[in-house]
Amino acid sequence: MMHDIDSAPAKKGIRSDQFSGFILLALALGVGWLNLEYPLGSLREPGPGFMPLLLAIFIGAMGLLIALWGGKSDPLAAIEWPEAKRALVIMAGCIVVSFALEPLGYRITIFAFLIFFLGVLERRRPLPAFLVSLGFSLISFYVIGDLLQVPLPRSPWGF
Amino acid sequence: MKIHAAKTITKGRVLFTAVLLALSAVPAMAQDAFPNHTLSMIVPFPPGGVADTTARPTAAIMEKYLKQPVAVVNRPGAGGAVGNAAVANAKPDGYTMGMVLSSISVIPAADELFNRKPAYSLDQFAPIALISADPTILVVHPSLPVKTLKELVALANSKPGQMSYSSSGIYGALHMPMEMFLHATKLKMRHVPTTGGGPAITAVLGGHVELTAGGPAAIHGHVKAEKLRPIVSWGATRHPAYPDVPTFKELGYKDVEYFIWAGLVGPKGMPEAVLKTLRDAARKTAEDPEFKNAMAKVNSPVQYMDAPEFKKYWDADAKRLAGLVKIVGKVDSK
Amino acid sequence: MVETFNNLMLGFSVALSPEILVYAFAGCIIGTLVGMMPGLGPLAGISLLLPATFGLNPIVAIVLLSGVYYGAMYGGSTTSILMRIPGEAASVMTCIDGYAMTQKGRAGPALAIAAIGSFFAGTVGVIGLMLLAPTLAEFALRFGPPEYTALLMMGLFILAYMSGGSMLKTLAMAGLGLMIGMIGIDIMSGYTRFSFGLVELGDGVGIVPVAVGLFGISEILLTAGKGEMPDVQKPKLRDLIPSREEFRLSVGPIGRGSLLGFLIGIIPGSAHIISSFVSYGIERRMSKHPERFGNGAIEGVAGPESANNAAASGAFVPMLALGIPTSPVTAVMIAAIMVHGISPGPLLIQEQPELFWGFVASMYVGNVVLLVLNLPMVGVFVNLLRIPYAYLYPCVLAFCILGTYSVTNSMIDVWIMLVMGGLGYVLRKFDFDLAPVALGLVLAPMLELSLRQSLAMSGGDYGIFFERPIATTMLGLGVVLFLFSIKPLIFKTKDWRADVGLDEAKG
Repeated sequence: MMHDIDSAPAKKGIRSDQFSGFILLALALGVGWLNLEYPLGSLREPGPGFMPLLLAIFIGAMGLLIALWGGKSDPLAAIEWPEAKRALVIMAGCIVVSFALEPLGYRITIFAFLIFFLGVLERRRPLPAFLVSLGFSLISFYVIGDLLQVPLPRSPWGF
Repeated sequence: MKIHAAKTITKGRVLFTAVLLALSAVPAMAQDAFPNHTLSMIVPFPPGGVADTTARPTAAIMEKYLKQPVAVVNRPGAGGAVGNAAVANAKPDGYTMGMVLSSISVIPAADELFNRKPAYSLDQFAPIALISADPTILVVHPSLPVKTLKELVALANSKPGQMSYSSSGIYGALHMPMEMFLHATKLKMRHVPTTGGGPAITAVLGGHVELTAGGPAAIHGHVKAEKLRPIVSWGATRHPAYPDVPTFKELGYKDVEYFIWAGLVGPKGMPEAVLKTLRDAARKTAEDPEFKNAMAKVNSPVQYMDAPEFKKYWDADAKRLAGLVKIVGKVDSK
Repeated sequence: MVETFNNLMLGFSVALSPEILVYAFAGCIIGTLVGMMPGLGPLAGISLLLPATFGLNPIVAIVLLSGVYYGAMYGGSTTSILMRIPGEAASVMTCIDGYAMTQKGRAGPALAIAAIGSFFAGTVGVIGLMLLAPTLAEFALRFGPPEYTALLMMGLFILAYMSGGSMLKTLAMAGLGLMIGMIGIDIMSGYTRFSFGLVELGDGVGIVPVAVGLFGISEILLTAGKGEMPDVQKPKLRDLIPSREEFRLSVGPIGRGSLLGFLIGIIPGSAHIISSFVSYGIERRMSKHPERFGNGAIEGVAGPESANNAAASGAFVPMLALGIPTSPVTAVMIAAIMVHGISPGPLLIQEQPELFWGFVASMYVGNVVLLVLNLPMVGVFVNLLRIPYAYLYPCVLAFCILGTYSVTNSMIDVWIMLVMGGLGYVLRKFDFDLAPVALGLVLAPMLELSLRQSLAMSGGDYGIFFERPIATTMLGLGVVLFLFSIKPLIFKTKDWRADVGLDEAKG
């Protein structure tokens, strides 16, 4: 999502509020379209589609107003994304974890995750990074999994 | 060349067979020793609900007979659909069971009504044992000038569509019995769904609606304090905690019978021996005085049924509820 | 009065027995630890602990659980202040100014004021519970769907009234939150809305993963993404204690927050989050320098923290006096005593005086324990900030994933948290306020449901909102506030909000 914004050719003149306002408007239209599936009901007996429709109209109206009044806001191109690249890597790391957690088990996944973050991304010294990763994954599993008895995922090899 | 290839195949086949044998030997050994590690009992509702307070003592006592720990795992979500689906799709090795409520039969029927991709189907389950079955009890706000079902029906008839009742949500465990009652008496009332059994009762206590169907345990304290008046029960016989409350059956409504039941089920396809071990453990648990005592404390007497009986009971119940869901239909199409 | 005193003595004789005291301590400590886990809040804490209490006697069970509850409320504010990670919905407001204070090196005072405010609010709550429980409980029951609708509408109007930056943006974000709240099964009709075929979304989107994502993850993305790690803070002892000025500024917000929180807390339903929002709004309006809010105003910590703790005690009023579960937390508590064969109901206080008064007394004890436990701990907590950020943030991320996963044992919440983290990051880049999203999300299902319930009760007649005095009063008040808040928009008079808006646009 953020990548799109980042790489979109920054047209001169488009203001940040105009941009975000139109995004909101687009969101409202999208929701309104999805909402066609649900019956609206009546004012006396609102159906499941009633409130979402009102909200879509409301968000759309707000988006439009933000866009219209947004002429004085900073230009879209002026918003800098210095941290976007790294943020994407961090997000990607979390997403990988969310998919690996159940098949690989908690301890292996979190250990690998921390090794990646501390060792590769942040380039900490290997020994402390290793100890922190190992300690964190084992101790947190012990506290949450064993003491609080939350059934945290285990690997097929049993731990 | 050909011969060589054939030899390799043979060799490969031998190896393959050996591996297969070895692999099949592992589960066979495991079966002999079933269970040889922790079992889990999935509860499709959050801690503290009926399913949970039934599952905890069941799991605790079953441990005694299975000689392995039984961990209760809450998997709440979507009115039980998430947890039920988790049981349905579990590996049928006997290590995953579920303590499910009668709502398990309503969800697929509602999915069908709304043309949804069903979360699970009922034939994915293998019943193990019925643990408890509580009838719901119709309660009214004490300011309502009715003491019997006859008076209630007369009052509701005198102002059709004016009285309102609360429920635990549409197609929920407390909505179904009310629809059954309204269908049998041809009454019309306003339906005010709430987010659960507790809020449904609170709505009656505050006088915001006139009546609801309540679980015997949940209403007990309020009935004792005369803040709620019990009128009639959906049970087959009178509930031991409410000996003065007649049943619909007694009063001539033959088909009005409804229980919120809790049963132990597993995924379909468990090996016969495993299922037998679990059934035996469940039976011994149900007969255990310690267990009976724990269940009596939550006002939910043990109603044990073994798998075949339970299956028959469940099938009949599911059929009745599915029919009822169709009658209720979608709200907007009325 | 004499009777109350005697009863209280009975209560203390129960609560001060060594066994109970140990459990109260244990509960507070476990609760604080659980609350400090990102993603795990009071509800998750007591749900996890509930099964362990089945083997105990009912008084011990409820004392332990209420200790966990209080402790988790407090622990949640610790992570909110130090890392901008709300442990539960009510801490969302604490995040804003609390974390801003941390960035300015004032984490110590923020934590100390939060502890003192919570203690005071908790004590006010217990006194209210003790003296007024039966009276207030009757009042609480009069809150039906129409009153609830009015209350929630008022909450939204106040949101508009208190909005910080651009009001349009605030309202748009509230709308977005309300929209996210529409996801899930509509219990009035049975339709599953906007679930994209995921069964797990049937219950809707939980507030905890959303709050952790929007506030916590987005903060990590913004800070860690920069590549160069922020300087490690080395708090000095002098910086741990609130200054005289900070104390002076906090007295009013704590008092008002406690009263407000208690009143909102006794209303059945889960509207407790409103108390912290409303408190924040009131303090901002009453302040002579509203522009300080959002940039580390101590009042913005003191008010909402007191309000949410007072609401927590307020919620026990209908639970104990009437035996009705008014929130998920009290529902779990009721389950804890029901398994011991005690049926909750209006007779609970008479039939189980030891339970009730023991519980009341243990709440006093619990509050003192928490204060004693946490004030000295402020130093320890603040020292967590000495951990280099490069080590801290991966561990915090792992904690967030672990915490959100543990609540329902499902991956869906983790995904929601991550999506919200990305969304929060982008929205902050575009100068949008995130708190209204959280408020909207919590209010949406309740508002829609109570509105439709009201109409179901009246058969579609909107007159039901004008026949009931409580509902009418609240709606009227809300509309007046709303008109006040849009006055500057219509008459183009420049008020403080415009200044703040400009400030925030620049910053």
